[in-house]
Amino acid sequence: MHEFGIAAEIAAAAVSEGEKHGAAKIVTVTVRIGVLRGIVPDSLRMYFEHIVKGSPAEGAALEIEEDPVLVSCPGCGETPAPGLTLSCPACGRDGVAVKGGDSLQIVSIDIE
Amino acid sequence: MADVKVEIGQEIQQSAAEAARVLARIFASRKVLAVNLVSSPGSGKTTLIEAMIDRLAGRKRIAVVEGDIETEIDSERIRKHGVQVHQITTRSACHIPPELLVKALGHLDLDAADLLVVENVGNLVCPAEVPLGEDVRIVALSVTEGDEKPLKYPLIFKTSRILVITKTDLLPYVKFSTDAVKTAALAVNPRIEIFETSAVTGEGIAALVDRIEALHAEKAR
Repeated sequence: MHEFGIAAEIAAAAVSEGEKHGAAKIVTVTVRIGVLRGIVPDSLRMYFEHIVKGSPAEGAALEIEEDPVLVSCPGCGETPAPGLTLSCPACGRDGVAVKGGDSLQIVSIDIE
Repeated sequence: MADVKVEIGQEIQQSAAEAARVLARIFASRKVLAVNLVSSPGSGKTTLIEAMIDRLAGRKRIAVVEGDIETEIDSERIRKHGVQVHQITTRSACHIPPELLVKALGHLDLDAADLLVVENVGNLVCPAEVPLGEDVRIVALSVTEGDEKPLKYPLIFKTSRILVITKTDLLPYVKFSTDAVKTAALAVNPRIEIFETSAVTGEGIAALVDRIEALHAEKAR
């Protein structure tokens, strides 16, 4: 729902880091996004693509690393799950605790 | 020239986080307990605030900021209870941006308040992403909305300290399992505190207000 603002912030951070490191061109921007953030990757990429036009990040690939939810199961330990769940994806035990899945971070840029 | 990878590791939404820190400092310096009240539209936020004001009368001084996309209907309701209130109309924004709350505080005398309740725009998605420097985020959920909401909108339940189930007087008429909503909310946020309330019968309002008073006492100490 907030993809435009987030894309703008990613673009600004990438361009400013690129300038700091004397980049002629930014090739890839890598972000880490939690599955609970409700961010639609295609929307984020679409906005990003438009925002970076005319900047050194024009045409850069936006790589999205998914930050999964981690289920803490007394039997199986920590197991990643693709979304929110009340049961362990490995053994099906109910009432497990979940954590993670809320990252929103620009991880790195690849420059040339 | 070969590609070079530059590690950044920077959190996104820093400007909002910075504005929230400014607000937190304002609340700390005035020893005001700030409550960010969030929920979907129609879950009874304004009615809950009215019930809290009446219960707190003579015990704690309360100031209210009302957030809506349009109209001053809610602040007019609150004003009738004789407390300080300021209305933010966000026009198109689906949440209260921290900058607008900073401006709104200029219309209130925080030194004459123990508790600031900010009623956010009715929405379970966007307000979850935008902290307002609050001490306590309260998410309200009415029994007419369905008990699966914490699983559908996990972030807002994960980031809230208190869940207030509202309109419990309607439980006989709706398919809503209080146990199911508690299980779902605790799965998302094992530390969330849950209160069951009805502004019509008064159920649970005293317990909620006592808890908020205790949180204010902790902060003002």
